[in-house]
Amino acid sequence: MFEFLSLTFMQRALLGGELIAVVAGIVGPILLFRKMSFTSVGISHGAFAGIALGILIGVSPMWAAIAFAMGIGLLIGFVSKTGKISEDATIGTFFAFFMALGIFLIDISKGYHVDVMGYLFGNLLAISSSDVYFAAIVLLITVFWYLFRGRATVYSTFDEDFSRIVGIPVDVDYYFFMLVVSLVTIIAVMFVGVVLASSIMIAPSAASKMLSKKFSNVVLFSILFGMVAVFGGIAFSFYTNIPSGPSVVFFITAIFAISLGIKWSRNFVKS
Amino acid sequence: MNDGFLTIDSVTVRYDHYVAISKISTKLALGKFHVIMGPNGGGKTTLIKAIAGLVAYEGRIEMDGLDMKKYLKKHPIGYLAQRGAQFQSFPLTVYQVVEMGRYRFKESRMVRKEHVMRYLQEVKMTSLAKRPISELSGGQQQRVLIARALATESKLMIMDEPLTGMDPRSQSKFYEMIERIKEEHSLTIIMSSHDIGFTTAYAENVFCINKRLVPHSEAAKLLKEPEIRKLYGPNIHLVEHHHLSSGEEEDV
Repeated sequence: MFEFLSLTFMQRALLGGELIAVVAGIVGPILLFRKMSFTSVGISHGAFAGIALGILIGVSPMWAAIAFAMGIGLLIGFVSKTGKISEDATIGTFFAFFMALGIFLIDISKGYHVDVMGYLFGNLLAISSSDVYFAAIVLLITVFWYLFRGRATVYSTFDEDFSRIVGIPVDVDYYFFMLVVSLVTIIAVMFVGVVLASSIMIAPSAASKMLSKKFSNVVLFSILFGMVAVFGGIAFSFYTNIPSGPSVVFFITAIFAISLGIKWSRNFVKS
Repeated sequence: MNDGFLTIDSVTVRYDHYVAISKISTKLALGKFHVIMGPNGGGKTTLIKAIAGLVAYEGRIEMDGLDMKKYLKKHPIGYLAQRGAQFQSFPLTVYQVVEMGRYRFKESRMVRKEHVMRYLQEVKMTSLAKRPISELSGGQQQRVLIARALATESKLMIMDEPLTGMDPRSQSKFYEMIERIKEEHSLTIIMSSHDIGFTTAYAENVFCINKRLVPHSEAAKLLKEPEIRKLYGPNIHLVEHHHLSSGEEEDV
């Protein structure tokens, strides 16, 4: 039944996918409670412009995408903080521009054969060992950040004014958080593509939020749901021969729907 | 400390070109219960935030002779903001919310737990420590926020319209609790309210602002001020309140 696990490329896909599930499960709930779910959409589309620029000027698309994603993460944060408008409004303004910029740059990259669909929708089964190593480094950074600044960031998400008063460096923590989100988004883009990255970032957390009343449990379930969806999605993709990215997204959405059903049932029983 | 003053000297706050409060000056005796009154949009929250160091201001605020900005760097203050929507959905337990007040203290988890439970005991909420704050009533949430403010071990507690949405009985119990903790912790309390009702029965000093300072006098005198009618309209009826209930009970 699990013969796909004996194949090296499937092992890599599974390992990489599970790493994304863990890091997305850690940052996703904070994005959700800050009402910044759209952030990963903005960053992932910005990363597409970075990929295109990398192709055009002949540097590694991955490194160009990382630089763009981190720059855009900070830009979204800076414009939102200083312009006193919501992150979603900022992202709504920028993301279409970055997508357009990416398409424009790819269009002028004459002489290159560019697999735009690959970047837009990803291919978990094609990830390399270096991609997995990079995901492991992002996991280390994310865990390190969560251990040292996670509690303070949760506090400032809950009550920003009180957090400032007790001495939490709210703005510094916010920009650190945006950098971590940028890194997590970029590995999601590498594995499942620009279009599907936000699903793996947000849907497990949204499903978890409906079932948990403690923040630590929201994070735990978010990680768990993401890992189950990655495993199920990759296995399903192997046996049905459908693309792996969409397959994972189908599983994540199914988990979200089940959580919604459980929540509705609970509310129905209560009433 | 209780012989000193919190001095507000010609404080003006602007949001871009909009002047929220203008040249407000007053002296608030430490160790007393002060209430800022005024109509909605009159600048109560802005003044509260200026004192708490949460908005930039022109002028000077001093705590017992020390510039407030310097004071805030060394001392946390107990701050209760107006309850926002996050209290209705954020999955933090009562214990975790009070634990926020201990952020500055370098202490072991055990010591922190002792402190948190002690402050929860003070507001009679220990039995609800593990409950999500979103599941509590408005009055219970305010008790938790008071425990969190106490957990900072501050001598100054600032509250922005904490009575919003409370029924008269809960308001009366709230004031009784405030009176008790003020005495037990030698606190200076500054609270904003647009409710004339109970305020004058419990506060030791009440002053009104409507962009500018209106009158500054003792609570009893305030009732006679015609300015109140100017602020709230000519049809306002002032009714003297007395303490409603005796003793506090756990609000479970």
